[in-house]
Amino acid sequence: MSLLDRILLTGGGTAGHVNPALAIGAALAKPGAAVLYVGVKGRAEEHVVVREGLPLKFVRASGFPGLRPSAALLKFVVDLGIGILQAAVILMRFRPTAIVGTGGFVAAPVVFAAEILKRLRLCRAPVFLQEQNAVPGKLNQVAGRLAERVFVTFPETLEYFPGNGLLSGYPLRERIGSIDRETARARLDFRIPEGRTVVFAFGGSQGARTLNRGLVDALRDLIPHRDRLFVVHGTGLSTAGRYDASADTQGRLQQLYTEEERELINSFYVARPYFHNIECLYALADLCVVRAGAGTLNELARAGLPALVIPKANLPGDHQVANARAMQRAEGAEVLYEETVVEDGHVIERIDGSLLAGRLVDLAFDGDRLSRMARAAARFHRPDALGVISRAIRGEGPEPVPHPVAEEPLEMTLPSNTALLSRLEAAVRKSGKHYKPHSVIPDAAELQYYRSRAASLLVSPGWEDRNLGVKLLGLLGATDKVPLIVALLSNRTPAPLLERLFGGDFAEVGFIRRNALTALGRLGVVDPAVEETLLTAFRDPYYEVRCEAARVVARFGPRLTRKAEFIAALSKGVEDRDIEAAGACAEALGQIGGEEDALPVLLAMREREYWKVRSAALKGIITLVERGKVTDLSRLETSLAAFPLISTDFVPQFELKANYKKLLESVARRQGDAR
Amino acid sequence: MIYALGKLLHPDIPALSFLRLVEYLSARSIAAALTATLLVLWVTPRVIWYLQRRQFVDQLRQTGIASALDKAGTPIMGGAVVIPAVLASCLIWCNLSSLYLLLMLAGMLWFAWIGFLDDRAKMRARSGDKGLSEAGKLFLQTAFAVLFVGILASPLSPLPLAERFRIYVPFVKTALVDSPWLFIPFVLLFVLLVSNSVNITDGMDGLAIVPSVFVLLVLGVFAYLLGNAIWARYLFYPFLSGAGELAVFCSAFAGAGIGFLWFNAYPAQIFMGDTGALAIGGSMAVGCVLLKQEALFLILGGLFVAEALSSQIQDKIGVKWLGRRIFHRAPLHHRMQHLGLAETKVVVRLWIISGLLALGALATLKLR
Repeated sequence: MSLLDRILLTGGGTAGHVNPALAIGAALAKPGAAVLYVGVKGRAEEHVVVREGLPLKFVRASGFPGLRPSAALLKFVVDLGIGILQAAVILMRFRPTAIVGTGGFVAAPVVFAAEILKRLRLCRAPVFLQEQNAVPGKLNQVAGRLAERVFVTFPETLEYFPGNGLLSGYPLRERIGSIDRETARARLDFRIPEGRTVVFAFGGSQGARTLNRGLVDALRDLIPHRDRLFVVHGTGLSTAGRYDASADTQGRLQQLYTEEERELINSFYVARPYFHNIECLYALADLCVVRAGAGTLNELARAGLPALVIPKANLPGDHQVANARAMQRAEGAEVLYEETVVEDGHVIERIDGSLLAGRLVDLAFDGDRLSRMARAAARFHRPDALGVISRAIRGEGPEPVPHPVAEEPLEMTLPSNTALLSRLEAAVRKSGKHYKPHSVIPDAAELQYYRSRAASLLVSPGWEDRNLGVKLLGLLGATDKVPLIVALLSNRTPAPLLERLFGGDFAEVGFIRRNALTALGRLGVVDPAVEETLLTAFRDPYYEVRCEAARVVARFGPRLTRKAEFIAALSKGVEDRDIEAAGACAEALGQIGGEEDALPVLLAMREREYWKVRSAALKGIITLVERGKVTDLSRLETSLAAFPLISTDFVPQFELKANYKKLLESVARRQGDAR
Repeated sequence: MIYALGKLLHPDIPALSFLRLVEYLSARSIAAALTATLLVLWVTPRVIWYLQRRQFVDQLRQTGIASALDKAGTPIMGGAVVIPAVLASCLIWCNLSSLYLLLMLAGMLWFAWIGFLDDRAKMRARSGDKGLSEAGKLFLQTAFAVLFVGILASPLSPLPLAERFRIYVPFVKTALVDSPWLFIPFVLLFVLLVSNSVNITDGMDGLAIVPSVFVLLVLGVFAYLLGNAIWARYLFYPFLSGAGELAVFCSAFAGAGIGFLWFNAYPAQIFMGDTGALAIGGSMAVGCVLLKQEALFLILGGLFVAEALSSQIQDKIGVKWLGRRIFHRAPLHHRMQHLGLAETKVVVRLWIISGLLALGALATLKLR
């Protein structure tokens, strides 16, 4: 029996994982070879694999939610355990001679079961993996260690699989890009009238909500072009969770357009959840509107198609954006970013319909431009990925196979948000008050992208991400995003009950609210909405928020218009149970108050128990005096005469250390002079 | 050593009859304490300079607290003086055939070793935040706890058969629980929590050592009484034959601690480092378990419990889960400092509190 008599394929979740498996399977299997696909019920493989006429078996599996104890982690462990047992049974029955996995959490149980059976000497099939993404998921990293070979799409990925990684490129199905227009036209179940410019829009196999909604919104502005244009829309298979792609799209159509309008739209618009014969659409399309997943971009390069790319931000390594920009630089694609906006008080991500329509119309009817873009896109094609993979699996040819090089490599990564944050924070530490984001990121377009990427973090379900987003917005000087921050601060959705029992309050947790205020302070935009938010923050249940509100007020100072209200809030704030908040309020009073309204309040703080509060009151008074607000100085002197100076703390001074420091400084100065 | 020698010599040689003193636990305890104190006082100055030369000094940590900045550069690994001094004193003054003592010494040395690895890793990385990984530390600690419980549950156990799986609580005469299924996980958890608590408390000059001395002294009293059949019966405690040697150990440790305080008092010339903190924590945990006083630690080591809990609650529940601070600062001593108390004042106040708690724990001897 030879290596390729019985091939077991696995991998899935999305078609981006299934299609490479099918492509590799088709390239490997000789006529008469038995092929079995193992996937997870209800995911893309259920739709796709069966259509290809392959037998499909299911195992249980779920994605790795991270090591932190949670219900999802428990489910993951249980699913993985059951999945491995199921996979073991399948492996024992099917007795494969080779196993090919293409990642996604689906492949994990099969790979682990194969490894266990191998240890027990019950299964000898070698395991081969293909990794489509630049940054492999945790499960694939573990599975990769057990595999005979890991074929990677991007050179950067090799470092995750030292020893057994091999650069192959993205394995595309043979039929993509190898079909002519007439055949394609004949195979569709709808008719595209001759002479129209065909736009093919799809957000991957599961569908992309912002893209789908944006496209439906754009139809209004496309109606006038209905005689020249034809839009094919792949809405996506997603029905799970919060988003039913097909129903949502149809619902939006119904909701936005009248019956007459819909009739017009139907003359140039067709929507389907999924296209099994996507090669036909590639053959017919003149322009694509797509996400920037590795699979899609590789297919577009193979088919030589120009695209309007809407990358999803904040994926590992931000690879969609990096890919999209690489194609944009080579003029093979145009990029349209999602924007994060406030709608009905909620922060959401969206694509503006008329903006999308405008970009589409500009591109679609510029034939020269389209053909230039098509040629540029084709340069990204990395040919013969399948050849590399099948030669390596068969053990043919000299190894390592020299990898096929595309004329234009896709650029893989952008600095992550956390890396960006530490760079910005380091700059703040260095330049203090004179900090400017431009000094860290000089390129204006770059800065604008980071701002919008940070904003898109605000829609993340994890508070840590939203917190990161808020911090970044402040440090990046994203003044245009102030409404988002204000919306976040006014969101009073309560935290889950369990969290409230332990001291949580709102879904936008304390740290987010505090950092949102810090960001507002940094951004320095003072408008009615900001002032209202600041006033509300003084009543926040979390002390750090109240404290930060006072600091922001001090920072804004004379620019505030509702001064009396702020002084009232601060005067109340000095009574805060929390000494930090009370102190911050006292200092802020010095910044914005006067002799009549602030001085008496500050002087009345003389008998506060904690010296830090008294000290803050003194600081406030100092500022008042410096600002020339105190006219009756002799009266101030008398009232200060008996100011209680009992203190429980002091700053130690180590003379030895001071001299040591002085010496070092003097040496450094001399060195500077010498140079 | 001297114990064996004295026992051997005094019945036969009248001139050496004063050596019969070694028969008395009290005499040996005092001698052990003095020995350890003097050893530490004698060796530490040399060690400080040695550590300074080797640059085994405190590394900066990003805690954001101003006074911590002044401390970078102070030699650490004071534990490397304290632990050998305790060991030497025990070798001189203890009856080394006591299994209680051997388990105790094993615990102290194991945890000192973990702490040493951590300190060394920090030195090598030149960063106070890059010690041994939390998982690595936990693994080594768990390994000891498992071995320790294994021995206690096995026929090798020094504990009387009837007492083996019993858990006592303060103020109650009878055992609360007698089941291996509860005892074993309880002790595992107890050893892990207590052994780390000193480490968390060890954040200010002299803060960890004095309460540790209090705890060890009280444990010493318990060891003396429970190792004595008459006292144990009188106080309605289980009699633990051979546990008396722990009194000598505890007083040796307390003595070494006092010697260490000589140098560690504000402003410190040396820190105990993880080597010292984990060794003290490990010894307290092992001592409580061997003397069946696990629950008493809630009172006796109340300060350590508060420090450890506040730090864990702040980090695990507050910062990581709820996304807010639950305490203004954690652990406890940083909170007090944040309120505006000078470090020296915080330390003295916490000494007072831990002293009161130790007295309270002593009172449970009779209040049952």
